[in-house]
Amino acid sequence: MTLTLEQSICHYAQITPDKTAAVCSTDSISYATLWNRIVERAEQLRTEGLEAHRPYVFRATQDIDFLVTYCAIHHAKAIAVPLEHKAPEEIFDAIKSEVESYTYAEDIVDILYTTGTTGKSKGVMLSETALVSCTDNFIADLHFTEELLFIISGPLNHIASLFKMHPTLSAGGTVCILNGLKDMNAFFEVFDLPYTKFATFLVPASIRLIMQLAYDKLCSVSDKIDFIETGAAPITKQDMEQLCKALPKARLYNTLGGTEIGAVCTYNFNDGRHLEGCIGYPMKNSTVEVTPEGNIVVSGRTIMSGYVGDEHSTNQVLKEGKIYSADLGYIDSEGMIHLKGRQGDVINIGGFKVDPSEVEGAAVSHPDIKDCICIAATHPVIGTVLKLLVVPNEGATPTTRSMAQHIKTLLEPHKVPTYYEIVDSIRRTYNGKLDRKFYKN
Amino acid sequence: MREKIYALLSEALPAVDFDADFLFGELDSLGVVTIFIILSKEYDISFDTTDVTPKNFKNIDSIVRLVEQKLAKQ
Repeated sequence: MTLTLEQSICHYAQITPDKTAAVCSTDSISYATLWNRIVERAEQLRTEGLEAHRPYVFRATQDIDFLVTYCAIHHAKAIAVPLEHKAPEEIFDAIKSEVESYTYAEDIVDILYTTGTTGKSKGVMLSETALVSCTDNFIADLHFTEELLFIISGPLNHIASLFKMHPTLSAGGTVCILNGLKDMNAFFEVFDLPYTKFATFLVPASIRLIMQLAYDKLCSVSDKIDFIETGAAPITKQDMEQLCKALPKARLYNTLGGTEIGAVCTYNFNDGRHLEGCIGYPMKNSTVEVTPEGNIVVSGRTIMSGYVGDEHSTNQVLKEGKIYSADLGYIDSEGMIHLKGRQGDVINIGGFKVDPSEVEGAAVSHPDIKDCICIAATHPVIGTVLKLLVVPNEGATPTTRSMAQHIKTLLEPHKVPTYYEIVDSIRRTYNGKLDRKFYKN
Repeated sequence: MREKIYALLSEALPAVDFDADFLFGELDSLGVVTIFIILSKEYDISFDTTDVTPKNFKNIDSIVRLVEQKLAKQ
C-alpha cells in the first residue's frame, strides 16, 4: 500500500533524515527538516483556527514553503486549496468565500480549481484515495526511484506539476522546484547537481521551446535524463521524433491525466514508432473505455469525488463511478488508447483549459468594448494562444494594452489573450449565440 | 531605439507591464520567447538561452542594452 505524501516524508525523515527532499534555487531542505517544518506549520495553522476537514486557500508559490504549507494542511487533516500564485485578489477572495461556504466529506484532502471537463472554472474535490492511487500509478508506470531528481517547472496549483511531488517524495527522491522555464539557464544548471537520474514534466509547448532555443544543451545532458513526461495538450509527431533524437536513451512518456480523472494512461513514445495521439495503456488503478460516440470514459481509484457545491455539473460528468470526459478517442488493435481531439468550446493553452466565455465576460466589462469573441489562434513557438476579436463602442478606440490590462485585473494570467483584433461585427447564429463554429474554421 | 522597442514589445505582449520595476518577474516563458522573436526579426540579431537572465530582463532599459551589445558585436 502506497503511503500518503506526508507519511512518506515522515518515513524518510526517519530512515534517510539528511537526504535532500527538495531544492529551489539556492535553497534546499532535508527530509528531516522538511518533516519538522511540516509539523510546526500544521500546529501554527491549527492555532490560527484551521479545523479538520475545512478548506485552506493559499497561493501556489513556486518554492519550498509551498511544499511545507501544502503538506502541513494535510497533516492538520484539513483540505488544501492551492490557487495560481498570480491570481487576482478578486478571484482569490471569491474562491475562498465559495469553498468556505460548504462542508466536505472526511476523505477530501485537495480542491484544485480547473476549467477541465465542463468548460467552467470549478473546484475539483479529490480524496486521499485518489491522491495515493495517482502516486501509485506514477511509481508503477514511470518508475520513480530514490535516486531520481524530478524537476518541477510548471505551476504548483496545476495537477500535472503538483502531483509529481507525491511520487517523487513517496519514492524517496528529490524534487527541484523552478519558477517556470523562462530562465532556461536555471533549468540546465539543475543537471550539474550531484544526482544520477533526472526527470521532468514538460507541456508540449515547453518541449518545443527547449528544442528551439537549447537543442544542443538538451543533447549535452542526454545521458543524465531518465525520463521526460508530457501531456495536458497534444504533442506533434515531429516534436516527438526530434525529442527522441535528442534523448535516444530516455523514456519519453505521453500521459493522459486531468484534475477530474487523475493520472490514467501513459505511452513511452521513444519506441521507434512515435505514435501521435497515443496515450498507451491504462495504469494499474485506472480503467478506460470509449463510448460509441467516441468519448473517453475513465473509472478507478484516481477519479475526483465531485465539484465543489455543484451537484448539477458533477452529475453531468460523474455517472456511476465513471468520468465521462470531453476527450475523444479510440482503442487500437493492441489495446492502446488514442486521443483524437476534444468536444466543446474549451481552448487548451499550453495545458491550461480556458473557457472562452469567461474571457469574453471579462472583456465586455471594459468600457470601450461593445461585443467580442475569444478564439484560438496560432503562435509560431507556443502553438495555441487566445485571440480576442473586438467590436468597440461607437467612437471608442480601445488599445490592445488597455484591453489586456483590464482582463488581467479580472482573470488569471493564462486567460489573458495574446492577440487582439478590432472588427466591425461578431458573427452570431440565428438565435443570437456566438457562432463559435465559424471562427474555428 | 528605446521608444521603438518599448512600442514593439508593448504591442506584442499587451498584458505585460513594461514599466514594471522588475520586468523579469512579469514575464513567462512565452513572453521571453516572444521578445526574442520580435527583436531578432527587427534587428537581425540572434539570442540563446544564456541571454535569458534576470539582469538582461530587469527592465526595458536592460533589454535595450542587450540589443545594443548584440548589434555592436556584429
